[in-house]
Amino acid sequence: MKLTKLLMFCISSLLFSVIAMAQDVTVNGTINDESGLPVPGATISVKGTNKATASDFDGKFQISVPSNGTLTVTFVGYVTVQEAVNGRTKLDIKLSPESQNLNEVVVVGYGTQKKSVVTGSISSVKAKDLESLPITRVEQALQGRVSGVSIAANAGQPGSASTIRIRGFTTLNNNDPLWVVDGVIVDNGGIGYLNQSDIESIEVLKDGASGAIYGSRAAAGVILVTTKKGKAGKISVSYTGYAGTSQAAKKIDLLDASQYVTILNEAYVNGGKAAPFATRTAPTPANPTGTPIDYGKGTNWQDVIFNDHAQRYSHELSFSGGNDTSTFYMSFGLTDQEGIITTDISNYTRKNIRLNSNHKIGKYIKIGQTLGYSNEKTIGIGNTNDEFGGPLSSAINLDPLTPVLVGPEAAVPGSPYVNANALRDANGNYYGISTNVTQETSNPLAYTQTRLGNNDFSENFVGNIFVEAEILPGLKFRSTAGAKLAYYGSDNFTPVYYLNGATKKDVNELFRSYKKSYSWNWENTLNYAKKFGDHNFSVLVGKGTYVDNITSGNDITYRGVPATTHADASFNVDIPIADKIANAYNAQALEHRVESLFGRLNYDYKEKYIFTGIIRRDGSTRFGPNHKYGTFPSVSLGWVPSKEGFWKENDVVNNLKIRGGYGVTGNDSSPDFLYISTVGIQRNYTIGGNIANGQSTNAIANPDLKWEETKQANIGFETMLFHDFNLTVDFFNKKTEGILMPVPVPGYVGATGKTYANLADMENKGIDIELGYRKKIGDLNLSVNGNFSYIKNEITYLDKGTNFLAGDETVQSSAYEINRTQVGQAYNSFYGFKTNGIFQTQADVDNYKNAAGKVIQPNAKPGDFRWQDLDGDGSIGSNDRTFLGTSLPKFTYGFTLNLDYKGFDMLVFGQGAGGNMIYQGLRRLDITNANYQTEVLGRWTGPGSTDSYPRVTTNDTNKNFTNPSDFNLEKGDFFRFKTIQLGYSFPKEWIESISLQKVRLYVTGENLWTITKYTGYDPEIGGPTTAGMNNVQGVDRGYYPQAKSYMLGVNLQF
Amino acid sequence: MKLISFKQSFIAFGVLLTLGACETDEKLEVKGDGVVYEENFYRNETEAYSGLVAAYDKLGKFAGAMENAPLLFLNSASDDFYAGGGGPDDQPGLQVASNYSISPGNIPPNIWADYYKGVARCNIMLAKLPAIPMDAAKKTRFTAEVKALRAYYYFDLVRMFKNIPLILAPITLKEEIPLVEQVKPEVVYAQIEKDLNEAIPDLPMTLLTNELGRFSKGAATALLGKVYLYDNKKAEAAVELAKVNGTTPGQPSSYGYNLMPKFSDLWNHANKFNTESIFEIAYTDKSNADWGNFERGDDEGNVAAQLMGIRDYSRKTAGIAALLPDYINGWGFMVVTNELQAALQGDPRYASTIFNAGASRGTGNTDPNGLITYTDSYNETGYHFIKYAAVNADIKSSNPFLNFGINTYIIRLADTYLLEAEALGGTGARAQALLDAVRNRVGLGSVPVSLDAIYAERRLELAGEGHRWFDLVRTGQAAAKLASRGFVAGKNEAFPIPYSEFNNTKMIQNPNYN
Repeated sequence: MKLTKLLMFCISSLLFSVIAMAQDVTVNGTINDESGLPVPGATISVKGTNKATASDFDGKFQISVPSNGTLTVTFVGYVTVQEAVNGRTKLDIKLSPESQNLNEVVVVGYGTQKKSVVTGSISSVKAKDLESLPITRVEQALQGRVSGVSIAANAGQPGSASTIRIRGFTTLNNNDPLWVVDGVIVDNGGIGYLNQSDIESIEVLKDGASGAIYGSRAAAGVILVTTKKGKAGKISVSYTGYAGTSQAAKKIDLLDASQYVTILNEAYVNGGKAAPFATRTAPTPANPTGTPIDYGKGTNWQDVIFNDHAQRYSHELSFSGGNDTSTFYMSFGLTDQEGIITTDISNYTRKNIRLNSNHKIGKYIKIGQTLGYSNEKTIGIGNTNDEFGGPLSSAINLDPLTPVLVGPEAAVPGSPYVNANALRDANGNYYGISTNVTQETSNPLAYTQTRLGNNDFSENFVGNIFVEAEILPGLKFRSTAGAKLAYYGSDNFTPVYYLNGATKKDVNELFRSYKKSYSWNWENTLNYAKKFGDHNFSVLVGKGTYVDNITSGNDITYRGVPATTHADASFNVDIPIADKIANAYNAQALEHRVESLFGRLNYDYKEKYIFTGIIRRDGSTRFGPNHKYGTFPSVSLGWVPSKEGFWKENDVVNNLKIRGGYGVTGNDSSPDFLYISTVGIQRNYTIGGNIANGQSTNAIANPDLKWEETKQANIGFETMLFHDFNLTVDFFNKKTEGILMPVPVPGYVGATGKTYANLADMENKGIDIELGYRKKIGDLNLSVNGNFSYIKNEITYLDKGTNFLAGDETVQSSAYEINRTQVGQAYNSFYGFKTNGIFQTQADVDNYKNAAGKVIQPNAKPGDFRWQDLDGDGSIGSNDRTFLGTSLPKFTYGFTLNLDYKGFDMLVFGQGAGGNMIYQGLRRLDITNANYQTEVLGRWTGPGSTDSYPRVTTNDTNKNFTNPSDFNLEKGDFFRFKTIQLGYSFPKEWIESISLQKVRLYVTGENLWTITKYTGYDPEIGGPTTAGMNNVQGVDRGYYPQAKSYMLGVNLQF
Repeated sequence: MKLISFKQSFIAFGVLLTLGACETDEKLEVKGDGVVYEENFYRNETEAYSGLVAAYDKLGKFAGAMENAPLLFLNSASDDFYAGGGGPDDQPGLQVASNYSISPGNIPPNIWADYYKGVARCNIMLAKLPAIPMDAAKKTRFTAEVKALRAYYYFDLVRMFKNIPLILAPITLKEEIPLVEQVKPEVVYAQIEKDLNEAIPDLPMTLLTNELGRFSKGAATALLGKVYLYDNKKAEAAVELAKVNGTTPGQPSSYGYNLMPKFSDLWNHANKFNTESIFEIAYTDKSNADWGNFERGDDEGNVAAQLMGIRDYSRKTAGIAALLPDYINGWGFMVVTNELQAALQGDPRYASTIFNAGASRGTGNTDPNGLITYTDSYNETGYHFIKYAAVNADIKSSNPFLNFGINTYIIRLADTYLLEAEALGGTGARAQALLDAVRNRVGLGSVPVSLDAIYAERRLELAGEGHRWFDLVRTGQAAAKLASRGFVAGKNEAFPIPYSEFNNTKMIQNPNYN
């Protein structure tokens, strides 16, 4: 820096002294940036001469110039300013960053493009849109902000990933978009390492024409993240921090103790059994009828697990600066968020460090690097969205009769508390053990005690380094090497416990898993840009190698360690070797490798007629010898009529760009080894008292396995209307052909694995609309941005002989899958029985006959559902099921309102989705005594009582509750006020004296209000968290709901 | 000039890297760590043996699963047991078997599919074995074992589902899958008999200690006799069964089989592969199964033992209660019916078969005179099945439910005695001697031999071992004995084929289902 300064002074002094002339005036001035910070090292030259100087550390300069001359001020990253002297001797010049001008650039993959000549469908989110938002994961930055991208949280557990779908579901397989951070491919699951305040921009490549540059991995869309670069100038320091508190946005209504007793007694009596709970005390001679027993309200288990004061905070500190030769950006971030459910075992902490820098070596060579490190620690409640266990499911299903705590005197013979491993609190009281509801459902406070301290951890290093050389004017060679290294695992201690007869542990276990995964890529590109008159050409060719899934790890279990808590448990203990269990492994499939060649041609004539052509050829380890390589071309065209001669300037349509494109992309994110028959291990049997290791073939091989191809046509326009409105509209038709899926193999084949083939086609048609409005009215700045997307998904083809694909999701005790994929229907639509009211009387049952006069439900009783006999065979069976609605939202939308007025600012951000159904499966149906939601109070109790909620019974032979049916489905439409923020920035003159550039205080509310008719906790439901069922959305088995939060924050800039 | 050469070298370097893209096919071949391709497998004796083990693997599902365990499923469908468990929807596959609401949509599909997985592993071995370079004698033995296993799997399939596809070679193309059709039961029986007849000469008479669990000549012969009986070839059945039963019932046969002197010793789980055991499924407490690999191939524990345990069983510590068995806390399946309890009342085998939990508890968990407490199962009668019951001393793992090392009998000598007596028509001195031997072992006197006497004896002797439902169907008693459960004649003699088998196939459902 010092050297640079010296050099600058030398050069400028030299130039100045040589060319000084007598008739000139001497001008003194300062150069400041947009926020008023001085800019050192800017070049100030006299137009039309070689005379020049540079600004000093305080942005000051002095130059001799003809009194009618013009000064040109240039500085990297800023718009060049021409300033006529007009006889002045003092000039203060303000520079504005280049990105704010009309030549806004968009990251397009292997380079950037001016927004005005982009012909693909690309949406951007910039750093300023994300400032001071309480975002813990990067994908939340996109939620509701760009059209065509639907994002739904997988859980409200802090740190949980979200399900991201770009223009809907592209395949029956992996639909996660490709994440590319500064050129490094980062898998979807590992993207949580990013710190949002380090992000300069996020670009979403939505259509095939833009995505084709990422070829075989772009079918589900591409998300490009660019982290911040340093800006030359005085070192800028900024701090953003907030702290706040979270609580449940909603609790569901469950029966209290008195209601529970009433319903359960009724169910038992209806089921032909004695009522289990006495409603009156036993008669005595003095009181021959007994006294009514008041069970009161009992325990509200939701109140027990929900924390209304869960804490969260975040600190982010960044430094950036540099000069003409070198710039840097570095930051530190710390985020901590407590969960709202059983906070002791629900917490997320992340620490980030980032260092990015760019340098010039001589005139022709640039080098640069990015490096991010993160350390994440997640303490999770265990099962979420799972009816089998976990505190949320227990709170929903446990009976309200069981107390939270019982005194030590409860340990009378015969009670569950006599068990030596029954858990107690610090005062020696037992955690209540239900005798009514057992199995995996247990006292959530006791359950919490069994998981204290258990955590998952991950550490990520993601970085790259590049060299760029300008070989000839306009011809640049660039070589980029990137890598990601991740360490992750978990650290758990499970003490001995007795939660109930079925859920207990007699020997404690200390468990640690430790995994490492590594991926790298190396790309070399040549880029040539040339202007011939009004013809602009740019050509890119490149070669890339991408290797990932280099994974290894080990895990260790120690049994019976001498400890009772996680803190005390140690691997440094001497226990018998038989109690030490260790596993080590490499990833089942080593090295997913893609070898690529790609090229892109951009051409425009006066930025009026625009052409982009892309071709990429990829070879992947995941495909068989017959189809090892795939070629992915795209072409897109643009026309800007508003630049034509015939276009008359008007106040309605200020400018207009029409563009269209067509591109082919692929998907190779399928499992490895699908094309070859493999031999599976661990098909063992006990021979001679010892375990013999067995191996046998897995599935039938399919050497013809090939790429899924997604062909997408996109046509759209971008326009500015009435000078204030920006409107972008895209229509698209995305067709995926040859979707890889398991051949539906009947059991008689005896295959142990699944055979895959390219069997299905799927189509997504839709429209994306983005509308922005920006207006300055006096001191009031107003901007409103809205977006809306509609999408229609349809299966257009399934392999011949395949009429449908049975979904792989079942709920609880029914063998019937709840979803099905069939031609003409949306993917994974809900499938089941249709109710047709409730039998009010026995006569209703007897009169419910098919055309042939056969009584359809002879065993039904009044109060049972009348199932529709769709096949008309006079009985209810598997053929009476039908499609009951889609699990995929048909439309998503969002809007952001920004206001600022004299230092006050306000942000309102809302987002919604709809057109889908949700399967509400919160209650454990296999536990007779599980608690109910209060809807049950409107059950059928006699003729005419209701036609919508069946009778309660312990002997549900009509399968009123267990059959998957329209009774279990609810509309998933919702709109949510996601963020509301009010801020105030102190006037500059107040804070300059303490050398601060900016002080802003703000208050934020998150998830304050959700409008929905859905009866579960939260209608925003992403993909399931259970592996292997990655595409069935909208099944609520007890999602960890999103929290409602209030936060206070501050932004400081030095 | 220097600059130019610098530039030139950059150009050369860039062009080389960017365009010098030789197709790197070999780099794009996946080398999975521990992943073996079929074409690189079945190359030597070790791999042949591991293929053989995989063919045995599916035997373990008999009691190594929950609702998919045939032992529990078949017992639930018989008149000796109710499914039990925690409630009417606990392990629904067992409940629907028990109350005859069974349908294609609710039968546990793996009951069917596990057998076919076993068949497929036998088929691949029969296809690969001829070309594997290995010891010829071992190859012959392996081939025989695989054939015997395939016969075993098909025998259960044809008895349970009657109309089944008979697949005898690996299906290697997906195009072949939808073409498969069912065959008549007699075709299946003919194939089973052929496989066993081919296997028997090549199987060893005795097994070494480290081979226990594999097929022996006696096991295959007993199985063949049993198959003949089901195939209504009584004479052939008697011939085969006589080989394993020996010339003098009650005395050791030439195969070395002999009744255990004490009936109760059969149910001492330490007595694995005893002299009475002809074919036995082996389990171990050493596989460390947990819910992650449960019902997978490396889960080698007896899970049925956990399901059959009494719910929340607890002995009171004082006095006489301490003499009661220290049973585990189970999940309450296999509640003994009052009919079986009545039939065994006064029989010496009662104490090894049924635990009268209700009596030990007294009037309920709060009865001060009760010796135990427990939670009622669904359809509780107070009587619980204990032949395979686990006690706390059997717990050797931190996931005890899935890791009981209790073996189960498939064929034992008392069974083959009674089968031979039945094959002989239930008359004659030999039949009488066979029946008497079974009764004498438990100290019961002779009763005149007849088919009815044999059937009655089978129920008492073999209660809970998975035979009763087959016996009732084979002997035509099912409709009468199971009417109260909902058994429909002409329908329930075969179980419904899981409905998933009909998705895009040529399969035809068994009569009167759907």
